[in-house]
Amino acid sequence: MSVTVDDELWSAVGDPIRRRMLDLLLTDGGGTATTLSERLPVTRQAVAKHLGVLDRAGLVHATPSGRERIYAVDEAQFARAVAQLASVGAAWDARLRRIKRIAEAIQLTRDNRTDT
Amino acid sequence: MEFGSIEREIHVDATPEVVYEVVSTPEHLRGWWPDDADLEPVPGATGTLTFGDGTSPDATICPLTVVEADPPKRFSFRWVYEEGEIAAAGNSLLITFDLVSAGAGTLLRMTETGFRERGWEAALLEEQYNDHVSGWDYYLPRLAPYVAGLVQTP
Repeated sequence: MSVTVDDELWSAVGDPIRRRMLDLLLTDGGGTATTLSERLPVTRQAVAKHLGVLDRAGLVHATPSGRERIYAVDEAQFARAVAQLASVGAAWDARLRRIKRIAEAIQLTRDNRTDT
Repeated sequence: MEFGSIEREIHVDATPEVVYEVVSTPEHLRGWWPDDADLEPVPGATGTLTFGDGTSPDATICPLTVVEADPPKRFSFRWVYEEGEIAAAGNSLLITFDLVSAGAGTLLRMTETGFRERGWEAALLEEQYNDHVSGWDYYLPRLAPYVAGLVQTP
Protein backbone atom coordinates (compact mmCIF):
# COMPACT_ATOMS: atom_id res chain seq x y z
CA MET A 1 0.00 0.00 0.00
CA SER A 2 1.44 3.37 -0.96
CA VAL A 3 2.38 6.11 1.48
CA THR A 4 -0.26 8.43 0.00
CA VAL A 5 -3.02 5.98 0.86
CA ASP A 6 -1.51 5.54 4.32
CA ASP A 7 -1.51 9.29 4.89
CA GLU A 8 -5.19 9.39 3.92
CA LEU A 9 -5.92 6.62 6.39
CA TRP A 10 -4.11 8.55 9.11
CA SER A 11 -5.88 11.86 8.57
CA ALA A 12 -9.20 10.04 8.16
CA VAL A 13 -9.07 8.71 11.72
CA GLY A 14 -7.48 11.95 12.97
CA ASP A 15 -10.80 13.84 13.01
CA PRO A 16 -13.02 13.52 16.12
CA ILE A 17 -16.32 13.59 14.17
CA ARG A 18 -15.10 10.86 11.86
CA ARG A 19 -14.02 8.77 14.83
CA ARG A 20 -17.50 9.24 16.32
CA MET A 21 -18.99 8.15 12.99
CA LEU A 22 -16.81 5.03 12.95
CA ASP A 23 -17.97 4.29 16.52
CA LEU A 24 -21.63 4.58 15.47
CA LEU A 25 -21.14 2.47 12.34
CA LEU A 26 -19.36 -0.21 14.37
CA THR A 27 -22.04 -0.27 17.07
CA ASP A 28 -24.98 -0.21 14.67
CA GLY A 29 -23.35 -2.44 12.07
CA GLY A 30 -23.91 0.22 9.39
CA GLY A 31 -25.76 3.43 8.58
CA THR A 32 -26.59 6.10 6.02
CA ALA A 33 -25.70 9.80 5.92
CA THR A 34 -29.24 10.49 7.16
CA THR A 35 -29.22 8.07 10.11
CA LEU A 36 -25.75 9.25 11.16
CA SER A 37 -26.64 12.95 10.98
CA GLU A 38 -29.61 12.32 13.30
CA ARG A 39 -27.19 11.22 16.00
CA LEU A 40 -24.40 13.76 15.43
CA PRO A 41 -24.24 17.54 15.90
CA VAL A 42 -23.54 18.08 12.19
CA THR A 43 -25.63 18.35 9.03
CA ARG A 44 -26.36 15.51 6.65
CA GLN A 45 -24.19 17.27 4.05
CA ALA A 46 -21.25 17.39 6.46
CA VAL A 47 -21.73 13.70 7.32
CA ALA A 48 -21.80 12.83 3.60
CA LYS A 49 -18.50 14.68 3.14
CA HIS A 50 -16.89 12.86 6.09
CA LEU A 51 -18.17 9.53 4.71
CA GLY A 52 -16.41 10.39 1.45
CA VAL A 53 -13.11 10.84 3.30
CA LEU A 54 -13.56 7.54 5.17
CA ASP A 55 -14.47 5.80 1.90
CA ARG A 56 -11.35 7.06 0.11
CA ALA A 57 -9.21 5.85 3.03
CA GLY A 58 -10.79 2.42 2.69
CA LEU A 59 -12.26 2.58 6.19
CA VAL A 60 -15.89 2.24 5.05
CA HIS A 61 -17.68 0.64 2.12
CA ALA A 62 -20.98 1.78 0.63
CA THR A 63 -23.83 -0.38 -0.69
CA PRO A 64 -26.55 1.42 -2.69
CA SER A 65 -30.03 1.05 -1.19
CA GLY A 66 -32.80 2.95 -2.96
CA ARG A 67 -31.93 6.67 -2.93
CA GLU A 68 -29.42 6.24 -0.08
CA ARG A 69 -26.12 4.46 0.38
CA ILE A 70 -25.59 2.20 3.39
CA TYR A 71 -22.12 2.51 4.85
CA ALA A 72 -20.33 -0.15 6.91
CA VAL A 73 -16.86 -0.21 8.47
CA ASP A 74 -14.11 -2.12 6.66
CA GLU A 75 -12.94 -4.08 9.70
CA ALA A 76 -9.54 -5.07 8.28
CA GLN A 77 -8.55 -1.52 7.39
CA PHE A 78 -9.90 -0.23 10.71
CA ALA A 79 -7.92 -2.86 12.66
CA ARG A 80 -4.83 -1.82 10.77
CA ALA A 81 -5.28 1.83 11.77
CA VAL A 82 -5.79 0.92 15.43
CA ALA A 83 -2.91 -1.59 15.57
CA GLN A 84 -0.44 0.96 14.28
CA LEU A 85 -0.77 3.39 17.16
CA ALA A 86 -1.33 0.62 19.70
CA SER A 87 2.08 -0.81 18.88
CA VAL A 88 3.77 2.57 19.21
CA GLY A 89 1.94 3.04 22.53
CA ALA A 90 3.06 -0.38 23.77
CA ALA A 91 6.66 0.50 22.97
CA TRP A 92 6.30 3.62 25.13
CA ASP A 93 4.82 1.61 28.01
CA ALA A 94 7.93 -0.56 28.01
CA ARG A 95 10.25 2.47 27.78
CA LEU A 96 8.53 4.22 30.70
CA ARG A 97 8.78 1.08 32.85
CA ARG A 98 12.53 1.06 32.22
CA ILE A 99 12.81 4.79 33.04
CA LYS A 100 11.04 4.03 36.32
CA ARG A 101 13.38 1.15 37.15
CA ILE A 102 16.55 3.14 36.40
CA ALA A 103 15.41 6.27 38.29
CA GLU A 104 14.32 4.28 41.35
CA ALA A 105 17.64 2.42 41.44
CA ILE A 106 19.54 5.73 41.32
CA GLN A 107 17.32 7.18 44.05
CA LEU A 108 17.93 4.16 46.28
CA THR A 109 21.70 4.46 45.89
CA ARG A 110 21.60 8.18 46.74
CA ASP A 111 19.32 7.68 49.76
CA ASN A 112 21.62 4.97 51.12
CA ARG A 113 24.60 7.24 50.68
CA THR A 114 23.03 10.02 52.77
CA ASP A 115 21.94 7.53 55.44
CA THR A 116 25.48 6.29 56.09
CA MET B 1 -8.27 7.27 21.79
CA GLU B 2 -6.59 10.29 20.30
CA PHE B 3 -5.05 9.12 17.04
CA GLY B 4 -2.87 12.20 16.57
CA SER B 5 -0.82 11.73 19.72
CA ILE B 6 0.27 9.24 22.34
CA GLU B 7 0.07 10.08 26.03
CA ARG B 8 1.35 7.99 28.87
CA GLU B 9 2.05 8.58 32.54
CA ILE B 10 3.79 6.64 35.25
CA HIS B 11 4.58 7.22 38.90
CA VAL B 12 8.27 6.95 39.79
CA ASP B 13 9.59 6.61 43.34
CA ALA B 14 12.42 9.05 42.72
CA THR B 15 12.73 12.83 42.86
CA PRO B 16 12.03 14.91 39.72
CA GLU B 17 15.76 15.75 39.64
CA VAL B 18 16.68 12.08 39.30
CA VAL B 19 13.92 11.35 36.74
CA TYR B 20 14.98 14.40 34.71
CA GLU B 21 18.51 13.03 34.56
CA VAL B 22 17.25 9.66 33.34
CA VAL B 23 15.10 11.08 30.52
CA SER B 24 17.59 13.70 29.30
CA THR B 25 21.16 12.40 29.53
CA PRO B 26 22.79 10.12 26.90
CA GLU B 27 24.22 7.85 29.59
CA HIS B 28 20.72 6.97 30.87
CA LEU B 29 18.86 7.15 27.54
CA ARG B 30 20.99 4.18 26.45
CA GLY B 31 19.56 2.26 29.38
CA TRP B 32 15.92 2.59 28.33
CA TRP B 33 15.74 3.21 24.60
CA PRO B 34 18.37 3.52 21.85
CA ASP B 35 21.64 1.60 21.69
CA ASP B 36 23.49 4.88 21.73
CA ALA B 37 22.63 8.54 22.23
CA ASP B 38 24.56 11.70 21.62
CA LEU B 39 22.95 14.90 22.81
CA GLU B 40 23.35 17.93 25.02
CA PRO B 41 20.23 18.67 27.06
CA VAL B 42 20.21 22.33 25.96
CA PRO B 43 17.41 24.01 23.93
CA GLY B 44 18.28 24.13 20.23
CA ALA B 45 21.05 21.54 20.50
CA THR B 46 21.04 18.79 17.88
CA GLY B 47 22.10 15.23 18.53
CA THR B 48 21.47 11.66 17.47
CA LEU B 49 19.84 8.44 18.61
CA THR B 50 21.51 5.30 17.26
CA PHE B 51 19.58 2.06 16.83
CA GLY B 52 21.79 -0.96 16.23
CA ASP B 53 25.60 -1.20 16.35
CA GLY B 54 26.90 2.30 15.57
CA THR B 55 30.03 0.93 13.86
CA SER B 56 27.96 -1.21 11.46
CA PRO B 57 26.46 0.18 8.20
CA ASP B 58 23.13 -1.40 9.23
CA ALA B 59 22.73 0.95 12.18
CA THR B 60 20.01 3.60 12.01
CA ILE B 61 21.19 7.01 13.14
CA CYS B 62 18.28 9.32 13.81
CA PRO B 63 18.77 13.08 14.26
CA LEU B 64 17.07 14.91 17.10
CA THR B 65 16.71 18.54 18.19
CA VAL B 66 16.22 19.56 21.82
CA VAL B 67 13.25 21.95 22.12
CA GLU B 68 12.87 22.59 25.85
CA ALA B 69 15.23 21.76 28.70
CA ASP B 70 13.84 23.08 31.95
CA PRO B 71 15.16 20.89 34.80
CA PRO B 72 13.53 19.29 36.68
CA LYS B 73 10.16 20.10 35.10
CA ARG B 74 10.21 19.59 31.36
CA PHE B 75 12.38 18.06 28.67
CA SER B 76 11.26 17.88 25.05
CA PHE B 77 12.82 17.11 21.70
CA ARG B 78 11.88 16.58 18.06
CA TRP B 79 12.83 13.50 16.05
CA VAL B 80 11.76 11.44 13.00
CA TYR B 81 12.67 14.08 10.42
CA GLU B 82 14.83 13.97 7.32
CA GLU B 83 18.52 14.51 7.85
CA GLY B 84 19.47 18.04 6.80
CA GLU B 85 16.03 19.46 7.57
CA ILE B 86 15.38 21.86 10.44
CA ALA B 87 13.06 20.08 12.87
CA ALA B 88 9.76 21.94 13.22
CA ALA B 89 6.05 21.25 13.69
CA GLY B 90 4.86 19.41 10.57
CA ASN B 91 8.07 17.58 9.64
CA SER B 92 8.85 15.75 12.87
CA LEU B 93 7.49 14.08 15.99
CA LEU B 94 7.70 15.92 19.31
CA ILE B 95 8.38 13.98 22.51
CA THR B 96 7.68 15.88 25.74
CA PHE B 97 8.42 14.71 29.26
CA ASP B 98 6.59 16.61 31.99
CA LEU B 99 7.68 15.94 35.55
CA VAL B 100 5.40 16.77 38.47
CA SER B 101 6.45 16.30 42.07
CA ALA B 102 4.08 13.78 43.71
CA GLY B 103 4.73 12.97 47.36
CA ALA B 104 8.29 11.70 47.66
CA GLY B 105 8.23 10.71 44.01
CA THR B 106 7.44 12.03 40.55
CA LEU B 107 4.55 11.77 38.15
CA LEU B 108 6.20 11.41 34.74
CA ARG B 109 4.01 12.26 31.77
CA MET B 110 5.15 11.49 28.23
CA THR B 111 3.44 12.90 25.14
CA GLU B 112 4.41 12.15 21.56
CA THR B 113 2.68 14.35 19.00
CA GLY B 114 2.93 15.07 15.31
CA PHE B 115 1.49 11.84 13.92
CA ARG B 116 -1.43 13.62 12.27
CA GLU B 117 0.72 16.39 10.79
CA ARG B 118 3.56 14.12 9.83
CA GLY B 119 1.26 11.41 8.52
CA TRP B 120 1.07 7.68 8.72
CA GLU B 121 4.65 7.18 7.57
CA ALA B 122 5.95 8.64 10.84
CA ALA B 123 4.14 6.02 12.89
CA LEU B 124 5.72 3.28 10.77
CA LEU B 125 9.13 4.86 11.38
CA GLU B 126 8.55 5.23 15.12
CA GLU B 127 7.63 1.56 15.19
CA GLN B 128 10.89 0.68 13.44
CA TYR B 129 13.00 2.76 15.83
CA ASN B 130 12.26 0.33 18.55
CA ASP B 131 14.46 -0.25 21.52
CA HIS B 132 17.23 -2.80 21.60
CA VAL B 133 15.21 -5.02 23.96
CA SER B 134 12.38 -5.77 21.53
CA GLY B 135 14.90 -5.38 18.70
CA TRP B 136 16.14 -8.88 19.44
CA ASP B 137 12.69 -10.23 18.71
CA TYR B 138 13.20 -8.87 15.24
CA TYR B 139 16.78 -9.97 14.59
CA LEU B 140 16.87 -13.41 16.20
CA PRO B 141 14.30 -15.11 13.92
CA ARG B 142 16.24 -13.74 10.96
CA LEU B 143 19.55 -15.00 12.28
CA ALA B 144 18.51 -18.67 12.50
CA PRO B 145 17.83 -19.19 8.74
CA TYR B 146 21.08 -17.35 7.98
CA VAL B 147 23.09 -19.66 10.25
CA ALA B 148 21.28 -22.71 8.82
CA GLY B 149 22.32 -21.54 5.34
CA LEU B 150 25.95 -21.38 6.42
CA VAL B 151 25.86 -24.91 7.80
CA GLN B 152 24.36 -26.34 4.60
CA THR B 153 26.97 -24.74 2.34
CA PRO B 154 29.49 -27.46 1.47
